[in-house]
Amino acid sequence: MDTLIAQYTEPVYDDEIYDGEDAQLTRISGPPTANLKFALPPIAQPSAFLRAVTDDHANPDCPIKIAHGTTTLAFRFKGGIIVATDSRATSGNWIASQTVKKVIEINDKMLGTMAGGAADCQFWLNYLGMECRLHELRHKRRISVAAASKVLSNIVYSYKGMGLSMGTMITGVTPQEGPALYYVDSDGTRHQGDLFCVGSGQTFAYGVLDAEYSYDLSTEDALALGTRSILAATHRDAYSGGYINLYHVKEDGWVKHGFTDTDGIFWKRKLETGEFSNVTVDL
Amino acid sequence: MDPFSINGGACVAMVGKNCVAIACDLRLGKQTLTISNNYPKIFSYGDTYLGLTGLATDIETVSTDLRTKVNMYRLREERDIEPETFTNLVSSYLYQRRFGPFYVSPVVAGINNRTGEPFIAAFDCLGCTDYSKDFVVSGTSSNQLFGTCESLWEPGLEPEDLFETISQVLLNSMDRDALAGWGAHVYIITKDQVIKRLLKTRQD
Amino acid sequence: MGGFDFSNYARNAALQKQGFPQPQATSTGTTIVGCIFDGGVVIAADTRATSGEIVAEKNCQKLHYITPNIWCAGAGTAADTEFVTALISSQLELHSLSTGRKPRVVTCMTLVKQHLFRHQGHLGAYLVVAGVDPTGINLFTVHAHGSTDKLPYVTMGSGSLAAMSIFESQWQKNLTQEDAVKLCAEAILAGIFNDLGSGSNVNVGIITAEKTTIKRNFIIPNERVPKEQSYRFPRGTTAILKEQMISRAELRKYITIVDMTGKGTVEGDAMEVDA
Repeated sequence: MDTLIAQYTEPVYDDEIYDGEDAQLTRISGPPTANLKFALPPIAQPSAFLRAVTDDHANPDCPIKIAHGTTTLAFRFKGGIIVATDSRATSGNWIASQTVKKVIEINDKMLGTMAGGAADCQFWLNYLGMECRLHELRHKRRISVAAASKVLSNIVYSYKGMGLSMGTMITGVTPQEGPALYYVDSDGTRHQGDLFCVGSGQTFAYGVLDAEYSYDLSTEDALALGTRSILAATHRDAYSGGYINLYHVKEDGWVKHGFTDTDGIFWKRKLETGEFSNVTVDL
Repeated sequence: MDPFSINGGACVAMVGKNCVAIACDLRLGKQTLTISNNYPKIFSYGDTYLGLTGLATDIETVSTDLRTKVNMYRLREERDIEPETFTNLVSSYLYQRRFGPFYVSPVVAGINNRTGEPFIAAFDCLGCTDYSKDFVVSGTSSNQLFGTCESLWEPGLEPEDLFETISQVLLNSMDRDALAGWGAHVYIITKDQVIKRLLKTRQD
Repeated sequence: MGGFDFSNYARNAALQKQGFPQPQATSTGTTIVGCIFDGGVVIAADTRATSGEIVAEKNCQKLHYITPNIWCAGAGTAADTEFVTALISSQLELHSLSTGRKPRVVTCMTLVKQHLFRHQGHLGAYLVVAGVDPTGINLFTVHAHGSTDKLPYVTMGSGSLAAMSIFESQWQKNLTQEDAVKLCAEAILAGIFNDLGSGSNVNVGIITAEKTTIKRNFIIPNERVPKEQSYRFPRGTTAILKEQMISRAELRKYITIVDMTGKGTVEGDAMEVDA
């Protein structure tokens, strides 16, 4: 028993100091440097316990319901990167909020998106912001998006199997990389790509985005495509909806293009362009 | 995974001054995926209206079975079925399947053709009747509907005021339920006419 | 008598096996009591019906008619109490018509227990059977599995412990009618206030050899405070896409209903349908 308690009360990993220029890029074992000692339940399998009490898909009567359900997307084009998300949070079938901010401003040059556990995404992307700032102070230059996304993926990988739930996209434009887009999730997966959709409504967003996407899109068209893809997902996916949060990331930083109610966008499009003919206006 | 919330849907009925109203959403879903935006859940049997929420396959079986029964009643009786009689029909029809129930929660609304009295009722899936003088609700948004009805309903509403109240009750409840919405039908039933309206609702 | 239809049973059992939850029936989640006095018997019930944690009905009637001199208070699955009492009521009416005698409470109790035993507890009806017949004053309880009790004072339902605490501390022999009614109402109030499954108002039924009196809402201890202001919406608040009007006259285009009563055109006996 004592050994069991000792195992969970002692810090599992020693604190580690950055010792080289690319320390973050090579560090693949152990959690991060700052004091991140999480209280764990005093049982043999904390992750199994967490799953038992929070996984409402496997057990609808689970006592703790974590907010889920999302559509987020980001894509690279010649004018930079478009980031768009919906704003709905659900716990079970209950719509807990229609005004969630699923784009996280890591700093004034980089953005992250949020899908999966809201608390996990908010905490770790905020923490990533701190790491990025420390990098700037240490090295007197901005962190690359590649490095930043790897910092995050290394962190979540060190907690693999413990129940973290996040699917996120890290975006930014740097002089050395140009527009850069990375997908990172709580399994530890990290991908570079031109176009990603994440969340329960991802398939619907991909449907529109893949059909209309081109790298040579004008900024105006790119913004419209981002909006239209999220709109399609909010329409078909019960767990996506609310407002469309739209961002344009450029080399000199990101620009916010509004937090707009889907209700207005939908009916304007339907009545003016004749899209969504599946929605009846007749008795 | 609950049979009552696979397809989603909401229904509510209310009493006003010499009138009743019944309203439903239009969504048909398969869990989170919205299959159809035009799946009305209110069925008319002469002057009596029935709202059905729950498992879509059972909604269709129950509504057609009752259609047969009401048609037979008409042939035998040579008159329309009254809401009170229809309520007893629904109740005993459901209770016949006490040990293998249909996964539906029906709601009845109508005006008695002889007395002119407004009438509403709701049932559980076994056929237990809930006679009510104010409002009845059913579906995946029933908790939200109970809340909005308790606060927004008031006695003695005229048909047009009742329309606004029932519409706002349904609209605001659906907006907090992921599995209901995507359009709504409202019926305002008075002694000499029925008005059916399609509401403009959120489509997310 | 149609009997039960089991055609959905296999489907629903298969769904249950796959982990689908079973449907939530309306339960009376109740306090019901009964108490005899010199000259008759009193039964009483609260008026709350629940579905899970939701109050499905705030003023329902749990005192069920069997015959003019026999009444039942029901707890458990609401649909079962409703239909079991209706079935027994009908059987007793026919029985009394064929024998030409007033129905007896024991007969009612026996019919109920045999019916419930036959269904092995699957019908969730918990009943207090009370009445006055030529043999005297009778008070029974019947549980869902078919067991019965005969006692001078009884309680049932989720509030039965709260109600019984009143009887155990205040009941005495040879009560007057007034005292028995007061005691029963007090027991129901204990259930209303101390049991979450019970609530709203007190319904009382008094049965004597001479007559039966049912007092609906005998006590209303939980009256809703009227709203100080109105939430009425201005007309035009709700956006409409389409409207359709159907007048009664238009409905008559397809179906013509003519009331022939008293005109002598309808041959044979007119069937009474509505009361």
